[in-house]
Amino acid sequence: MAVSSPPPTSPSSSEPRPQARWLGPLALLAPSGLWLLLLLVLPTLVIFQLSLVPNIRPGDVVNPSGLDNYWLAFNSTNLTVIVRSLSLALGTTAVCLLLGFPVAYWIAILAPRSRRNLLLLGFILPLWTSSLLRTYAWITILRPTGVLNTFLGTFGLPPLELLNTSAAVTIGMSYSFLPYMVLILYSSLEKLDTQLLEASADLGAPPLQTFLKITVPQALPGIAAGSLLVFISSLGDFIDPELLGGASSMTAARLIYNQFLGQTQNWGFGSALSTILILAVSIAIALLLKYGDRDAYRS
Amino acid sequence: MPPIRRSRPGGLSRRQFLNASLGAASGAALSSCGWTLANVQTTVRTDPGVLYIYTWAGYTDDELIDNFYKETGVRVIADVFSSNEEMLAKLQAGAGGAYSVIYPSDYMLQKMVGLGLVQELDRARLIGLDLLFDKFASPIYDPDNIHSLPLSWGTTGLVYNTTVLEPAPEDWDYLWNNRSDLTRRMTLLSDTREVMGASLKSLGYSYNTTNPDEIEQAYEKLLDLKPSIAAFDTDSWRSQILTGDLKVAMCYSADANEIAKQDANIAYTLPSSGSSIWTDTLAIPNTAPNPDAAYAWLNYMLQPEVAARICQRLSFATPNQAAFELLPPDVQENVSLFPPESALDKSENLTPIPTDVEELYDRLWTKLTSV
Repeated sequence: MAVSSPPPTSPSSSEPRPQARWLGPLALLAPSGLWLLLLLVLPTLVIFQLSLVPNIRPGDVVNPSGLDNYWLAFNSTNLTVIVRSLSLALGTTAVCLLLGFPVAYWIAILAPRSRRNLLLLGFILPLWTSSLLRTYAWITILRPTGVLNTFLGTFGLPPLELLNTSAAVTIGMSYSFLPYMVLILYSSLEKLDTQLLEASADLGAPPLQTFLKITVPQALPGIAAGSLLVFISSLGDFIDPELLGGASSMTAARLIYNQFLGQTQNWGFGSALSTILILAVSIAIALLLKYGDRDAYRS
Repeated sequence: MPPIRRSRPGGLSRRQFLNASLGAASGAALSSCGWTLANVQTTVRTDPGVLYIYTWAGYTDDELIDNFYKETGVRVIADVFSSNEEMLAKLQAGAGGAYSVIYPSDYMLQKMVGLGLVQELDRARLIGLDLLFDKFASPIYDPDNIHSLPLSWGTTGLVYNTTVLEPAPEDWDYLWNNRSDLTRRMTLLSDTREVMGASLKSLGYSYNTTNPDEIEQAYEKLLDLKPSIAAFDTDSWRSQILTGDLKVAMCYSADANEIAKQDANIAYTLPSSGSSIWTDTLAIPNTAPNPDAAYAWLNYMLQPEVAARICQRLSFATPNQAAFELLPPDVQENVSLFPPESALDKSENLTPIPTDVEELYDRLWTKLTSV
């Protein structure tokens, strides 16, 4: 900042001096920019470089030479794994949205204003415990003679064989990521203009129409952001699939893990898989930014 | 599971910081031209009063560490890994200079010797090498214990709950023959070599085969069993076998013994057609800081009293004859801990396999766990 410059006489007439114009943003953005550059951009570039070396292992010289690793990623087995990961992540996102929206709506609009912070706190409290511990808790609940089946048994209902299935993974991941969805939807619904709801009702719209035409469009950016966060988090999760998913639980995240920390140590193939996931997620974000926002503002 | 110390009191000294940043800077400079993936860096830890070890979860506890501190004045800081491959990857990714003592298993030690990552031990500095059982004086994986010290050994087999499973399993074939009864009530290890090895053994082949046909056959046989397998799982079977939710689980003998201490209905079988015998060792990385403390730790683990206490408290078999003689009779006679030589005849040590066979294993494993 230009310390010696005289204070402006009035805010409208004074233009900041040229160097001050970029000094401010630079000072504010440089620390986080440097952080991102060193810890996100550079490693991502290294991953991309490694992905271009077929069969590279620790101790080899990095010498990019082709796309072989990418072709390998699209053979039928690996494709099955990628598709499973995507569908588990999509399922988790849908469950979180269906369960999270009513809760966020209730906290943001219907619950007494003085209690809101307390309610939110209660909702994010589980995040303060280890995610591994919470997943183990689900094993206790879902196992054949576990809490759930004991409960069902007391009502004479047949037991459910849930542990070690994809359903168990979806349950575990939805539980893990629901708080994120609720928090983001809450912050979006909190800004909802309730006068519009009253106007809609006054003009004779039934509640469902009001909800679909007034509430949802206003909350759409929140829905998009929340869904994206849950989708990305569940795509990268490997604790839940590993502990709850059973014998057919291979996911992309675990496959990548195996390439780096497993027996074959094929870092090149692992990097190619990572690059594919990074690209897939980037495209999803780009599409949402492009179309999600436009829809939100058109209405 | 015993508590593991992971606290790391005190920050970096200025010299350490300087070393670390020099290392980082030279790494960055090298990366601008052709660079070598995962070059092992030299030491950044120089405090003689602290010994960093890299070990399995459950291999150290407070008593062990506190007594060592009383004896030598050296504080031990233990980091834990959950697989040999994880340990190797971390060492290669630059933590090679961080640890003074590591705990590779037999086949991993062979691999690390091949990669030049561990140093030869100075026998003159080791006290009590002559106390080891004869068969551990010169093990196949490391003749004459040139690079390593055997710490513990065990087998891979089947643990089962006698209240929900009878007759008792005797061999791997039991799983295939009773699969309809065991559907979703059995787990196998989450370990490619061990699971494929069990299938290979049941076909009469070696755990260490490099013949692709035999490996494919073992895969097909596992695929056959697949619908009955609840999960591939190395750790979380424990609570479920105690509650009877699982009838049988493939596991390491040390883990089975640990669980059997809690419940007399838990039993362990070493399959009659053979399985793997594993040995976990102590080794010193080439880049290890503080070698004096490292040798002190090795000698401490060689002491018969210490080895005997570890054997009892942490439930793994000791290769130390003097320690074995100190054990109470009921522990000495525990056949799941110390199986008779005759039972071990058909079992093998895992050995390293060529990269192309490793890749075949990895491909088949991905297939097995994804279809």
